[in-house]
This record gives sequence, structure tokens and C-alpha cells, in this order.
Amino acid sequence: MSERRPFHRLQPRHWWAHKPYRAYTVRELSGVAVAVYGAILLVGLFCLWRGQDAYAVYRRILASDWSFVVHAVLLAAVLWHVVTWFEILPKTMPKLILRGRQLPQRQVTAMGLLIALVCSAALLVVVVAIGAMS
Amino acid sequence: MSDTIASSKTIELRVLRYRPASDAEPVFVSYRVPYTDDMSVLQALQSIKDTQDGSLSFRWSCRMAICGSCGMMINGEPKLACNTFVRDLTPNAAVIEPLQNFPIERDLVVTVGDFVKKIESIYPYLMPKVPKPIEDGTYLQTPAQMTSYESFSDCINCMLCYAACPQFGANPDFIGPGAMALLQRYNGDSRDGGQQFRLDRIHGEDGVWACTAVGVCSEVCPKQVDPANAINQNKTNSALDFFLRYVRREQP
Amino acid sequence: MRPINHTAPKRSAAPVFWLLFGAGGMLSALFGPALIILTGFMIPHGWGLPATFGDFPHVLAFARHPLGKLVVLAVIALFVWHGAERMFLTLKDMRAGKPRLLRLVTYGVAGLLTLVTASLLLAIGF
Repeated sequence: MSERRPFHRLQPRHWWAHKPYRAYTVRELSGVAVAVYGAILLVGLFCLWRGQDAYAVYRRILASDWSFVVHAVLLAAVLWHVVTWFEILPKTMPKLILRGRQLPQRQVTAMGLLIALVCSAALLVVVVAIGAMS
Repeated sequence: MSDTIASSKTIELRVLRYRPASDAEPVFVSYRVPYTDDMSVLQALQSIKDTQDGSLSFRWSCRMAICGSCGMMINGEPKLACNTFVRDLTPNAAVIEPLQNFPIERDLVVTVGDFVKKIESIYPYLMPKVPKPIEDGTYLQTPAQMTSYESFSDCINCMLCYAACPQFGANPDFIGPGAMALLQRYNGDSRDGGQQFRLDRIHGEDGVWACTAVGVCSEVCPKQVDPANAINQNKTNSALDFFLRYVRREQP
Repeated sequence: MRPINHTAPKRSAAPVFWLLFGAGGMLSALFGPALIILTGFMIPHGWGLPATFGDFPHVLAFARHPLGKLVVLAVIALFVWHGAERMFLTLKDMRAGKPRLLRLVTYGVAGLLTLVTASLLLAIGF
């Protein structure tokens, strides 16, 4: 016991960039993309408040190629957020026991993804319908 | 046990050695070990200790993935040595290191005292909801009720999940996946009434809130305990308790 | 039968931010893709919608409506709080600074943007 000299190895500074943690870091960054999109909407709200001219500039920028690329990247990121969100969701819930058997987590994930698909599709349908009727 | 291995197949094991009396820091030592297709890494280490270097230290006991003693890093992944086979590591050299995120006592032996304290801190015993004297018979539980906590009772305290957890690596005071699995084994047991006592242990920054749902703990668990589920469902519980504590009745 | 009373660890305020993160995560998971498709592609380019759909008078009317205000506030605020929590945790993982400072920056920005959103929605009128 007198020889005890426990050696502390330091955690690698860039652990989050290496396997098996890279996937987790990418997942977290996809969540940040959600906020970036929110900020884009906020800029639109600000331009709306400023008035016709400012809002017209905002619309022009949104119609630009640059904006197209940015939104394409954000869409890809948010889709990744959707997939990984429903993968984690069952972890935050107690085990669901149906008829004596545990509901597999991948079924919870599948149901969540289905609901998300329905919700987003419904929103698009509703908006297109409003557009068609106006 | 075959003492003389007739096969000429050998593998190089690079083992991180550390002898506190003589080494300033850990150092890799290479051993060439003859192996057969049925040999585990544990047997390879035993072969080194028996025939090449008797000073090599490592924990082991059951040889069958139930005691939880032989956890170590094998090619950078936390694994049980008795459950990892040499044939799957060849032909390259295999790198053997002590379990990540723990201080090294000696060679492949890490300090486990803090882990034991964490296990003890979450009241790891049934606190019956309704105490029953023996004359009234056993506590009854349906199979469905047992299913809801059963996986958490499979934990063998091997600490592979702690080695996998980067938040534990960053903060050694984090209660960690294994202790949380044990907590949920009791909190999820229909016979138990001690949920609030255990919840009160994990409301802090070193409790559930140190977890960021990385999830690798559940991936490396040799017993499919799913500690990530144990921790993250208790985030929900802790969050609800944060607001509902004002309407909670005090425990008698 | 009371167990030994160890001093309970100090409560963290994390639940507040975790619930905001959760609400934003769920809202963005359910409606995020559709919202981006709408505001990023369909409305600007008039795909599947009249070219005048995103006109100033229409959008202003939406933002002036109480329900419209609620939608805009919920989407912007919750999306921003979700990203703030993830940004905080990622910066903490990367050891970009002391957690207290990182919280101040990430949650601070989220709080500020929430206030700005609410103020703009009020300033736009009814």
C-alpha cells in the first residue's frame, strides 16, 4: 500500500472529434442549425417591423442563390436533427410495457418519425391550401 | 488447460504497464503470445503472466462475463477481457490499456473506490412501499412489473460504461451510468417506495445533469443494461420534480 | 423507516433549460423541415404557392394576428433556446471556456433574442 501512486491520464482535449463520439458531436451541431434557422426568421421579423423597403430587401435575399444553398444546408441539418431526436427520445422515457412485453425502442423511434412526417406534410398541405384559396 | 500450445500462431500484445514504485509514468511493453482460436484476451494475459512476466497485474475472476472484474481498453474500446477473443484482434498488434477515465493503480488495475461510493450513495436496497411482516407472506409482483426494471438489475458493475462516458472523463464526480442503472433498478421496482430519496441524490450538476446523452455507455455494456435509458428517464423525473416539489407532500 | 440523511447534492437549475431545449427540439422535429421548405424555398420562389403569398401586407397581417404572434414567438424562441442549450453543451465539451461564461453567452443570447422577438411582435401592432 505504501507504493500507491495512482496515475491520472488526461482526457484527450479533442475527444469529441474522434470515434465513437463524432456522431454525437454532429448530432449536437444539427441542433444548433435549428437556432440558426430561428435567427433567420427573426431577421425577417425585424425587417417586417422596419417596413416595406427593408422587407423587400429581405425577400430579395431569400430568393437569391446564396440563400438557397444556406437553406439547403439547414434543411439537411434539421432532417438529421429529426432522425437523431427520435432516436434519443425513447431513452428519456421509462420502458413501455404492452401486454407483458417491452415495446422496443426502435418502434418508439419509428412512431415518432412517422408523426413528424405527418406533421410536416400536414403543415405544407394546409399552407398550400390557404394559398390556393386566397 | 493446455499448457503447451502446439500452434505456431502468435499475436503481439502491446500492454500499457505502470509500476508506481519504479515508473514515472505508464509505458507500453510488447509481448508476443502464442494463441489458439478459442483463446480470450484474458487467457492471453494469463499466458504472459505465467510464462513471460509474472509482475503483470490485472483483475479477473469468473472468466465468463458475469463478475465484471476484467474490464479494460482493447484497441481503444472498453471491453471485458474474458469476452474478447484473440482471433478477432489478429493479425495486427492488439493494444491493451487499463479502463479509460480511471486513475491507474498498477498495470491494468484501476482505482474503483469512488465508483463503489457512488453505488452506495443511491440507497441500493429495497425500501418497501408498504412494509410487510414475514407472516403476511412475500411481496407480489407481476412479470410485467418486473420487466419494467429487469434490464437495470443485470448490471455486473464492470464499469465499461464509465470508460465510455466522456462526461465522466471530464468530471470524475459525475454519478455516472452504472450507479444510475442501479438507482433505476430500485426506483422502477413496484415494491419500492424510496423513489424520492434516490431522486434527491441526483438533482445536481454531478447527478443526471452532467449527462449529455452521448449514449456510448449503452453501446459498450456487455449485459444490455441500457444505462443511458436509466439516466435520461431520470432527467424527466428530475425536471418534473424541480417544478412539482412545491406541491409535493413531505415524506413522514 | 428513514434512511441515513446524507446532505443532498445542491439542485441544478438545468431542468429549466432542459425543458426549453426539449420543447424546441420537439417543435423543430415535428415542423422544422416543413417550415424550412416553406420559408426557404416555396415562398421565396413561388413554388406551389401564389407569388404574392409572402408579400408585405400578407405577412404583416399574419404577424399582427394574436395567433400569428403566438406561432412566431413559439417558433423563434423555442428554436433559439434549443440551439442555445446544444451550443452550450458542445462548447463545454470542447472546453471553449468556463461553464459559467459559456452559459452566460449562450443562454444570454437566447434570452436576448427572445426579448427582441417579443418586443418586435408587440411593436408591429395588432
